[in-house]
Amino acid sequence: MVYVDTILTVDNLHINFYTNNRCNEAVRGVSFQLKKGRTLCLVGESGCGKSVTASSIMRLLPPLSRIEEGRIIYHSEQGDIHLHELAANGPEIRSIRGAEIAMIFQDPMTALNPVYTVGFQIREAFLYHTKMAKAAMQQKAIELLRSMRIPAPEQRVNEYIHQYSGGMRQRAMIAMAMSCNPKILIADEPTTALDVTVQAQIFDLMNDLQKKHNAAILLITHDMGVVAELAHDVVVMYMGVAVENGPVEEVLTKPAHPYTSALLKSIPVLGQSRSKKLEPIRGSTPDPYNRPQGCQFRPRCDFATEKCLQEPEACSVGENHTVKCWHWEKVLANA
Amino acid sequence: MLTYTLRKLLMLIPMLLVITFLIYVGLELTPGDAVSYMVGPDALANMSQEKLNELREALGLNDPFIVRYLRWLGRALRGDFGYSLTSGVPIKDIVFSRLPATLELSVAALLFSTLLGSILGMASALKKGSIMDVSLTVAGMIGVSIPQFFFALVSILIFSFKLGWLPSGGRTMPGYTTFLDRLPHLILPALVLGITMTAGVMRYSRSSMLDALSKDYIKTARSKGLPEWRVNLLHGFRVALTPVVVLVGFRLPMLIGGSVVVEQIFQWPGIGKEFVAAVRGQNLPLVMMIALFTVTAVLVASFLVDLITALLDPRIRLE
Repeated sequence: MVYVDTILTVDNLHINFYTNNRCNEAVRGVSFQLKKGRTLCLVGESGCGKSVTASSIMRLLPPLSRIEEGRIIYHSEQGDIHLHELAANGPEIRSIRGAEIAMIFQDPMTALNPVYTVGFQIREAFLYHTKMAKAAMQQKAIELLRSMRIPAPEQRVNEYIHQYSGGMRQRAMIAMAMSCNPKILIADEPTTALDVTVQAQIFDLMNDLQKKHNAAILLITHDMGVVAELAHDVVVMYMGVAVENGPVEEVLTKPAHPYTSALLKSIPVLGQSRSKKLEPIRGSTPDPYNRPQGCQFRPRCDFATEKCLQEPEACSVGENHTVKCWHWEKVLANA
Repeated sequence: MLTYTLRKLLMLIPMLLVITFLIYVGLELTPGDAVSYMVGPDALANMSQEKLNELREALGLNDPFIVRYLRWLGRALRGDFGYSLTSGVPIKDIVFSRLPATLELSVAALLFSTLLGSILGMASALKKGSIMDVSLTVAGMIGVSIPQFFFALVSILIFSFKLGWLPSGGRTMPGYTTFLDRLPHLILPALVLGITMTAGVMRYSRSSMLDALSKDYIKTARSKGLPEWRVNLLHGFRVALTPVVVLVGFRLPMLIGGSVVVEQIFQWPGIGKEFVAAVRGQNLPLVMMIALFTVTAVLVASFLVDLITALLDPRIRLE
């Protein structure tokens, strides 16, 4: 079921990494739909496959990985484009990268080239997607920096990234990503490397941009606070599996997967009494080369039974709210 | 920037003084002197002590060490580098007559090795793990680890003696007028000198390129929809270039100092070969002049490397 306002559909995505003659099934069955003007958060701990999922949409996966199964469909104005079928660095995907779908990365210090000016790197995006003259490109770059609230953009545009502060670097990165008014913005932990005070500014900017251009945002994070603040929809990932998928209010208040529930219990809440202990999730993340049979969360789960040795199927909890757990009713009742 | 340049240039003076003094001390410590080389062993045995002393006195060899050094320094500062003790020819004339040959050989080798080395290294990095990459890596290791004299002798054996394609040494012959006439003589020494240098540049640019390609900004560049050539050249190679330029920069002194081993084996009449002869002959003024030349070249080259890296990498500021 494709909604009218859906802009990106990821359906049953499987991605494998082949290193040292071993195969790591980094993503094993992720499905979600990204809608215009809305923000979808991909949540999960490090190594759960959320960044890999994000990179695969732009076909920016490293050479030793492959999309094994599933579909990534971009519902463009010109019709559906099957992104998973395009050649990795071919002309079709290149015309989409930057122009239709843009991406911002975790660490702006390493994600921007140190030997070129910020202006040069913004102009590069125009070079292959527009037919602007050079002076116009420069003017547009200055405007973009100004809209990102970077002071003295006329001067800053000719500076290098090491002359920028951390927050300014990420704003320059966003300016670059937004340069061609993309329909989709993929943000891979955009504030992890930044101060908390700067985080709010960055999210503020992203919100503004979303309202102005009606862009869809795919936000990758491990911060539940960010999810509560920004997301309209949430996909919770664990060991490459999208275990729970639904609107943010539903998932955060009525988590139907034991992992989501445990994740929410392990977050400290401001003002929470000292006597109330945090409940960390017991055990540790399994070795991706030696995965548990059936449900990936089984060894750490309080609800695990014999049945969990079989891989659970997606069950519908509510409208648009699905979960991959055999015991989701018990989890809901327990909460 | 200007003050940096000036300060760097002023710093050269004390460094030159110290280095020339050390070389002078080194030569003083070697046994024998110019006289024992100039006069044949038979004549030396028959010569009277007074006669020898007279000769030494005339050459200024009997003065205390420090006096001789200061005398040499004073003259050198006035541009007078003295006369060769063995042939009596002004040293300036010797050096400047040798310089074109050395320049010819080392410019050829330096250009060849830098261009070929960085292109092969870059290609190797882009096709990492391919058959080409593996064979280039093996060839590079061989090139780096086998000494020049071995390469030189083997190449003479194959190309001059067995195949007879190229002359085994020398630079010019009677009747040669143009550069093209001399070209066959240049090929072997330039290749031998170039091969080891190519291997170094190749290994260096490969790892530098691999390092650059693994950076996040490569992914960012791709995410903007840039074509692969632009990603690899402008974002990869441009950043990978800096360390390679440093390596090549430090080879610049070779342009003046020449290559002692290769020039000697191929009987190339350059500065390197002259230097060997001068050291053997205890020809102090000539050794000092060549050493001074080479040392200045090394110091100037390291200064140039500083300037170029600052130009290439905006994060480096000269202060």
